[in-house]
Amino acid sequence: MANSSASETITSVAARTSKPAKARDDSLRFLPWLFLAPALLIYSVVVVYPMIYSSWLSLFRWDGVAPTKVFVGFDNYVTLLTQNDVFWIALRNNAVWLVAALLLPTSIGLGLAILLNSKFRGSHIFRSIFYFPAVLSLAVVGLIWTWIYHPDLGLLNQALIAGGLKSFTRNWLSDPNIALYPVIIAATWNAVGLPMLLFLAGLQTIPEELHEAAKVEGAGPIQRFLYVTFPLLRETTLVVLAITAINALKAYDIIYAMTNGGPANRTQLLSTWMYFLTYNYNQVGLGTAIAVVLFSLTLIFAIPYIRFMTRKA
Amino acid sequence: MNQTKKEILPGQSKVALFYLALVLAALIWFTPVITLVLTALKDAGDFARNGAFSFPKSIRWENFSEAWETGVKNYFWNSVIVTGFKVPIGIVIESLAAFALTHMHFKWADRVFTYVLIGLIVPMQMTLVPLTMLMNALGLIDTLVGLTILYIGFGVPFGVLVMRGFFRTLPVAIIEAARLDGCSWFRIFYRIALPLALPAVVSLCILDGVATWNEFILAQIFLRSDELRTLPLGLVQFSTQFSTQYDQLAAAVLIAVVPIVLVFLFFQRYFVAGMGGAVK
Repeated sequence: MANSSASETITSVAARTSKPAKARDDSLRFLPWLFLAPALLIYSVVVVYPMIYSSWLSLFRWDGVAPTKVFVGFDNYVTLLTQNDVFWIALRNNAVWLVAALLLPTSIGLGLAILLNSKFRGSHIFRSIFYFPAVLSLAVVGLIWTWIYHPDLGLLNQALIAGGLKSFTRNWLSDPNIALYPVIIAATWNAVGLPMLLFLAGLQTIPEELHEAAKVEGAGPIQRFLYVTFPLLRETTLVVLAITAINALKAYDIIYAMTNGGPANRTQLLSTWMYFLTYNYNQVGLGTAIAVVLFSLTLIFAIPYIRFMTRKA
Repeated sequence: MNQTKKEILPGQSKVALFYLALVLAALIWFTPVITLVLTALKDAGDFARNGAFSFPKSIRWENFSEAWETGVKNYFWNSVIVTGFKVPIGIVIESLAAFALTHMHFKWADRVFTYVLIGLIVPMQMTLVPLTMLMNALGLIDTLVGLTILYIGFGVPFGVLVMRGFFRTLPVAIIEAARLDGCSWFRIFYRIALPLALPAVVSLCILDGVATWNEFILAQIFLRSDELRTLPLGLVQFSTQFSTQYDQLAAAVLIAVVPIVLVFLFFQRYFVAGMGGAVK
């Protein structure tokens, strides 16, 4: 892995520095567009055009069925902010979810990556075990964890009773005050794999000699982490945080599979509340306005990320 | 475990402790999966009496055949069809685009790439209403064809990202040499660039296949009839219909997970390679 990425860097540097003299090849005016056409066409129709049209629709009052839409300007946004209590619950839940996602999967992923980066017997098996939940669909993750949280038959309550902690047992997903947290734990189980993988890839680009040198200088493991490993993982960390944040704001399936927004809308996220308003209550204007809010929140994390991704181009 | 058989070393107890902690953590981490497998193997009565985390009194394979016949069969084949069409078509158009962005001296390459990247961050909710209108107008609601087209569109950003990451590492000299020999750009693409990119193509196939197999929200919005549902959607539906039949539900989930497990076991290193390509 380390070797191949080193050679990739070399070849890509070579690729970028040797600008060929054939740049005025006449066929190249249109030919690249021809190569790009299928992908750009379907992408523009399926993703970009609906995105723009959604923003426009958020300025109308519309039930999704009537032939006429009433232009209301920013009224939908005002309604959300002033009259829609669930919007605020969802926004708060998104904030909690985001903070949890930035803290838990990233730190667990980093810890596992450091632990499993050293080659010891069985390290590959452990990597697979800890990565595995990441390949499962969130709907499946939600279903599995719903059984674990089942009030009578679920493993969690049974384990608490067996451990003499009966007073801690709960009806985890039906208690409006706490229902969001069990869902976040389940989502974390799924979300650890990606940061772990990215941190492992990042760790393998750090030359062993640096650690050796630090060891010779008398640095302990904690010092080596703080002054050698962590600074060199800065780029990886930024990418991990951005991807985790973007993914956290996309969370939807797992809520749908585990609580369906309940009890009493206490586990709604902006993404699920958008679905409810649009498809269950026919409030298309409000629904698209929520989508725009959600997208704006995503942009906070996405703009630095996209800058980073295009920077090397 | 063989690690305990090591010769006596000063650090031996330390090593043993390290393994013990790791095995314990892995066991806890895997508890949900173990629970799932144990539940799928026992009958409902056993589950009700002894709970999820006990060894089955007798293994009940019928759970799988019953779940399969109650609907999982349809969901499974629908997922196979959608994934089977989406992944190859997607990879062809994404590779063509990525090749144009890397090797064809394309003036607009950076701008087009940025345009494509936006798709990586768009929440699905931002597209649902206009897509519903569009699919309605085209008569593609509640069809696997319609769903596959949507998946291809949403797959473009990640696919272009991965393939571009790989194509950038191809030496320009090879392409220039082929040009000088009078090779057409399309021939260079499919006779030189694509074969050299095989590892990236395999990585993308796997990441994309898993993502398509697992997709939920588009399937939920655009498939209406039960016999067209894909697995994740079908399973959630199954769970609300048969909420008390944990044995069959667990078996159904396991059937959905097994193909993913097989892919994961056989192509594991490609997950790493693919994600690495996406970040570079």
